[in-house]
Amino acid sequence: MTETEVKRRVRVLVAKPGLDGHDQGAKVIAMGLKDAGFEVIYTGLRQTPEKIVNAAMDEDVDVIGLSILSGAHLSITRRIMELLKEKGLESKMVIVGGIIPEEDIPKLKEMGVAEVFVSGTFISEVADFIQKNIK
Amino acid sequence: MNEDLTRIAEARKAWEEGPLQEALKRYPYVQPDTCRFYTPLDVKDFSFLEKVGFPGEYPFTAGAFPVEPLAGMAKFAAMATKGGLPAAMGQTRAATYSGYGTPENTRDYYKGLLDRGGRAGPNLAFDLPTQCGYDSDDPLVEGEVGKVGVCVDTLRDFEIIYEPYQGDLDLDNIASNFTINAPADIIIAMYFALAEKRGIPLNKLRATPQNDILKEYIARGTYIFPPAPALRLFRDSLVFIAKNVPNMNITSIGGYHIREAGATREQDLAFSMAIAVAYLQAGVDAGLQVDEFAPRFTFNAFGGSMEILKEIAFQRAARRMYARILKERFGAKDPRSMRIRQPIGVHIGPSSTTLQRPLNNLTRAVIGAVAAALSGSTPVPFPPYDEPLGLGWSMEALQLAQDAGRIITCESKLLEYTDPFAGSYCMEALTDEIENAATAEFEKIEKMGGAVAAIENGYMQKEISRSAYEKRKRIENGETLVVGVNCFTGEQELEVTTNRLVAHPYDPEKRERAEEEQKRKLAELKRTRDSNQVARLLKELENQARNEEQNLIPILIECAKAYVTEGEMCNVLREVFGEYQPVSFL
Repeated sequence: MTETEVKRRVRVLVAKPGLDGHDQGAKVIAMGLKDAGFEVIYTGLRQTPEKIVNAAMDEDVDVIGLSILSGAHLSITRRIMELLKEKGLESKMVIVGGIIPEEDIPKLKEMGVAEVFVSGTFISEVADFIQKNIK
Repeated sequence: MNEDLTRIAEARKAWEEGPLQEALKRYPYVQPDTCRFYTPLDVKDFSFLEKVGFPGEYPFTAGAFPVEPLAGMAKFAAMATKGGLPAAMGQTRAATYSGYGTPENTRDYYKGLLDRGGRAGPNLAFDLPTQCGYDSDDPLVEGEVGKVGVCVDTLRDFEIIYEPYQGDLDLDNIASNFTINAPADIIIAMYFALAEKRGIPLNKLRATPQNDILKEYIARGTYIFPPAPALRLFRDSLVFIAKNVPNMNITSIGGYHIREAGATREQDLAFSMAIAVAYLQAGVDAGLQVDEFAPRFTFNAFGGSMEILKEIAFQRAARRMYARILKERFGAKDPRSMRIRQPIGVHIGPSSTTLQRPLNNLTRAVIGAVAAALSGSTPVPFPPYDEPLGLGWSMEALQLAQDAGRIITCESKLLEYTDPFAGSYCMEALTDEIENAATAEFEKIEKMGGAVAAIENGYMQKEISRSAYEKRKRIENGETLVVGVNCFTGEQELEVTTNRLVAHPYDPEKRERAEEEQKRKLAELKRTRDSNQVARLLKELENQARNEEQNLIPILIECAKAYVTEGEMCNVLREVFGEYQPVSFL
């Protein structure tokens, strides 16, 4: 057995924070990452930052993917990063996807978001990013 | 096969084996399915009267109405530029989808429209807490109050929004639109309560609630209760409106949302029809004759795509399929029951737009609007090209879209011909193809027990997720070409910036403050209302909700009048009905 084969599969939580129900992107990413070999857990709609962080902890995921199209990406992500820090989970990789205006991308990265994927991103780009950057 | 067709078949065979084969050899990248040519052989059983008919007549393939009401739009538009729309044409229409912040913010926005000569009624966008049945002070909705629409907690909020609509613009002279689904009964009850308080008889009201809950489980996601009790709530609205509010629409059914969530053309049509049938059956099961209520069904739109010919065929097939369902299955006799009334045809949406080279989205919107114009609808190029850049459109993008529609109407004059493809071998074959495929899918759903069953077992949700994923994969592997995304990409990309030369009518600072203000006002209202009455009415609501036979609209009107909040009413109904738990799609 090679080293990569004994390593457990990377676990990704795909989460949809807030009340917005536009979940095509989140679902497509979840299905795509699953086909790319990741373990994927999808939270469903209407998740609070607390629920998402708890799910990340309970499911012991390596990556948290947030899909946000409601315009509330800054406040929601800030809250989630705070909660992760409080729980000592700042090592989890957080990625954000959705309708994110260009000027907000550096702000999200400053909060500790590993990467922001805007609409039109290929699933393979997301998968590659996770593979290359996961510790 | 008659002699003519035999000769055509022979000629076709000779052509395929001769010139076509030769050409395909010469151009190896051309595939037989990319150079299709249709002949009478593709529509062998074609009968004009049976398949097409005259515009506005059964089976409505050629058009829902004898004339497209905006065919004379060129003249109409010219009048508009010279001094406003003719009063009669604007009066009973609702404005464009709008609303933000507190009810006061939205009231001021509408007041501004009226001050500038508008006469249209509110077309309310509600914030997500309202759409999902939560009050503004619910901890679950923190940060979302007043964001994507106006917040409405109680009748007080409706009273405020409607302050500018008085006198000759009172509720009996305007039309209102409510884009709300899960708590639609509560919102329309608030509207009825407002009318009653103003002394306006319900039979004078004109309004359109979206009230299309079943598609929310498949797309858009603002559901609250499980599908079966949600359909009961729908039935209550249907019966109450049919009996008491004859000029109000009951529902505005949308395949558009389903397509945008990833549905194929056939799924869009099949699922919309299955959902419409569930609603129609609810009315019939309640003891009404179909012609008593079906004329008050509307469709907001079906989806669209860049494939113009197939989308025109879709619109024709949709009209025919719905008409046949109404006539053959429900025994409708009134042609008004059989018509698809929809404000927008071939409604392409954000899923057809690209973030890359965003100006191309104007071209895409025009393609959608041309398809609409050629299939019996008003060309409304949508969305504005800067849609994928963030929430909110620039005035420049809005005007470009609006002008594109005007150019199609006034300069291309496409609307001057009704169903111009009628009788085309290609178009009739495509129309049959889509109708047949959608009918097969529709029948599959019927066998499962109809739309409610196909949502409860997760079939529709899973199918849409699968289609969305497959569509995405086709783009990623290059099977579907999207300009600027997976082809014709290069180093010479120009940066497109959007200009916001005119301030947006929604004040961002007011929107930011809305949550705190609304919470403060709600706390104040809760202190001053008669809390004993509130408790009594909520108990009564609970009792009535437990009795499936009971129509809940009257008690909801009573609740509204006593300033019971939307969240309080929904919480009682959550207790009785439970909450919808989505099925896994992974």
